[in-house]
Amino acid sequence: MSLRLPGASGAPLSFSWNGRRLQALAGDSVAQALLANGIRGLAWTRKAHRPMGLSGLYTTGVLARVDGVPNVRLDQCLVREGMQVSRQNSWPNPRFDLLRLARLVPSGWIKGGFEQSNLVPSGGRLFQHWEALLAFLAGVAEPADQGFAGPPPVGQRLRAEVLVIGAGPAGCAAANRAAQEGREVLLVSRGESAARYARQAGAALAPLDPRVRCLFGVEVFGAYREGRLLLGAPIDPARGAVALEADEVILATGRRVVPTLVPGAWLPGVMDARTALALAADRRIAPGKSVVVLGDGQQQALANRLRQLGVQVVAVAEVAELQRVIGHNRVRAVQLERLQPCDALVLAGPGLFDDSLSFQASASGRLQLVGARSSLRRAGSTAEPDPALAPAQDAAVLLCPCFDVSGREVDELLEQGIDELEVIKRLTSCGMGPCQGQPCWDSLRAYVAGRLGVPVLQLARPTLRPPRRALTVAQAAGLCDVVEPLQ
Amino acid sequence: MNLNAPLPKRCSILIVGAGIQGLSLAFNLAERGVRDILVLDAGYWQGGASGRNGTLIRGAFSSVEWTCFFAYSNQLWHGLSRRLGENVMYSMRGYSMIGERTATAELLHRTREVHRECGIDSQLLDPAQLRNVLPALAHERVSAALHLPGSGVAPHHAAMHAYHKACERLGVTLRYRTPVAAIDRSAGRVSGVRVGEQRIDADVVVLAGGANSNALAQMAGVPLEGYPMRLEAMALEPTRPLIGPAVALLDRLCYMHQTARGEVVGGAEVAERPQDTLNADVPVMAATAKAYMEMFPQLGQARILRQWAGLVHISPDFGPLLGAHPALPGLFVSAGWCYGHAGAPAAGELLARAIVEGTVDERMKPFAVERFVQGRPVVEPGIVLSHFE
Repeated sequence: MSLRLPGASGAPLSFSWNGRRLQALAGDSVAQALLANGIRGLAWTRKAHRPMGLSGLYTTGVLARVDGVPNVRLDQCLVREGMQVSRQNSWPNPRFDLLRLARLVPSGWIKGGFEQSNLVPSGGRLFQHWEALLAFLAGVAEPADQGFAGPPPVGQRLRAEVLVIGAGPAGCAAANRAAQEGREVLLVSRGESAARYARQAGAALAPLDPRVRCLFGVEVFGAYREGRLLLGAPIDPARGAVALEADEVILATGRRVVPTLVPGAWLPGVMDARTALALAADRRIAPGKSVVVLGDGQQQALANRLRQLGVQVVAVAEVAELQRVIGHNRVRAVQLERLQPCDALVLAGPGLFDDSLSFQASASGRLQLVGARSSLRRAGSTAEPDPALAPAQDAAVLLCPCFDVSGREVDELLEQGIDELEVIKRLTSCGMGPCQGQPCWDSLRAYVAGRLGVPVLQLARPTLRPPRRALTVAQAAGLCDVVEPLQ
Repeated sequence: MNLNAPLPKRCSILIVGAGIQGLSLAFNLAERGVRDILVLDAGYWQGGASGRNGTLIRGAFSSVEWTCFFAYSNQLWHGLSRRLGENVMYSMRGYSMIGERTATAELLHRTREVHRECGIDSQLLDPAQLRNVLPALAHERVSAALHLPGSGVAPHHAAMHAYHKACERLGVTLRYRTPVAAIDRSAGRVSGVRVGEQRIDADVVVLAGGANSNALAQMAGVPLEGYPMRLEAMALEPTRPLIGPAVALLDRLCYMHQTARGEVVGGAEVAERPQDTLNADVPVMAATAKAYMEMFPQLGQARILRQWAGLVHISPDFGPLLGAHPALPGLFVSAGWCYGHAGAPAAGELLARAIVEGTVDERMKPFAVERFVQGRPVVEPGIVLSHFE
């Protein structure tokens, strides 16, 4: 079943998925090419082996082995001719996978961090074998086939008067304004071009001032030394990391859609607006054969745009109407006021500001890091207050799908009087997977606040810790002579 | 865990700090029949260095003093799950000390002699044995490797959970988010503490406040050596087992291991001015990454999940400060820990004995609080910590 829409361009390529040959078009990311081939489940959750896929919400869904390298992000990796891609967290092999039997284990049995259980106490003869089994299961992926050859990609240091992070419309406007004031501007963006989402959404934009210096394909992931030093990592692991300094830093990173706290929201086929737009507009791939669009205000505009791009949208509604997402291995329907069959659910909201950089730039405290008013200025939607997330009603929700942490597991801790999010994190591993708590700690906070009946912001979110897998070991090693220790 | 219950008006022994040191001591005291123990902590459960460390448990060092103490602690770790009635997940996967420079190889050979004296089972590995223990290591860089088969790791959250449960079972009162505002004395000895406006009488007060040790000593009006310092670590994204034992790369001041969750966790020290902050910085991440990449090339393409810092209390010789404080009767100290996770079972037991029976064990004696004024620091050349000059 192909989801490719008419009007696609790019040279045909072939690659393999779990040993099976598939076709792609040059310019597709691996995750996009797999979806175009009708393959939605790309990864398994750590413990219960639930399938996950391309969503833009959870990183775990797009991690797979590519040409002998584990944990490659398939949404950031373009298909190359002959590329070999395979699913992780399987044994003995992805096509005949006995670990899938984990899905038969009652969900109440699989909880806590992998390590915590009184089943096999240490000190006994069995323990080392038990631990080796846990380590094998938790490890998910075989280590890299080969060692890193050659010297690390050397990092570089860049300085500007104004540093703008994020090249959406607000970032471009802020950069243009600063350039017109005669200031030296550096614009850094994760994407390969400016304002790609806005363009995909059909917006017309003013061009970038030619005096703005651009650094594309680089994710700024960390703020150090009270925000005076920022680090960015190129998406391409062969390029060196960058250390950035500026007199003024403007955050224009926009908002990230957060998953709705209903059962089944982790299923392959659920995705955010950006992922859906990139598929339909850039790659001419439909998110599904019949698509439901939900949001907290932007849903109709998004649905119109997707329809214009040839996607069949079967229902548009407020996200608050969503009660559950139905399916076993992928989305089959959504329960709104009525049951709506579909094979993809696109979320246009609500969106939260990614607080990582401003938190790190301002955090202090000797017992716990607490964020304060940050010196980093915010522009565009980043500057607006976050919407309140609706508390979850159903204990069957997965707060952290990667580690299979359910609302029920958190309820058990709350009943014991454990209500500090930092402690819940340590006891459940919630948010300790590849996303590092983004979005899971927002989900956890909304869930616990709902249960305790307190305002969401009254609860301190667990500390946001970079680099959140933005940086490889080799890229970090390349920073050795770039940033001096404090003397 | 009832966090909102009122604080008692008096207790027998009051421990300031509910990290692994405070909890181990409380457990050992309760096991010896002491009642009305109160443990107060300013932060949240597992929020201090006890919830941020590298979880390594090393049962031998290069000096006799450190080796005797930590060998005993390691032995206690072996049976700790049974004693606490909760799984501490102590994994006896061995601990390999790797040298690259010639001088470090010499140190490891001398260390082996110390171990022989102390009756420690350690092994200088030949290249074939080392390949067996650590197949992923860049063997061409290694000048010597000393392996401790009886050492290992225990995840800190499992250990803290187990101690916490055991303390609760034995009737110890634990309170987090309860900072001590003052430490009182009367008639020449310690008499209690104040929390906010409330006064709590105690026969004995123990300072086990980690990085806050100096501030607590000041509250008690007694001198204490040492200073708070940040240590940093980082975790790589998980893979299936690549590195079996815990590893210390001595020439890089780097320690690491692969957790039961598949993440490689560790950190390398860099020569920086001691920082009193929980914010992490770039140089440690870069130095750790360089050590990983050069010594375990298969980690080169792995991605870094997170990096964090924890605060420890560093004494002038990096060794613990353990025992009665000479300046104030009734005041005891468990501070100066940079290997506190490994040392907690022994420290808790030996300090409990000192408090209850008044006996100072031979293994604890070298780490007396007053050793610096007496000119008897303990020299330990085999630790993985940098000394800022």
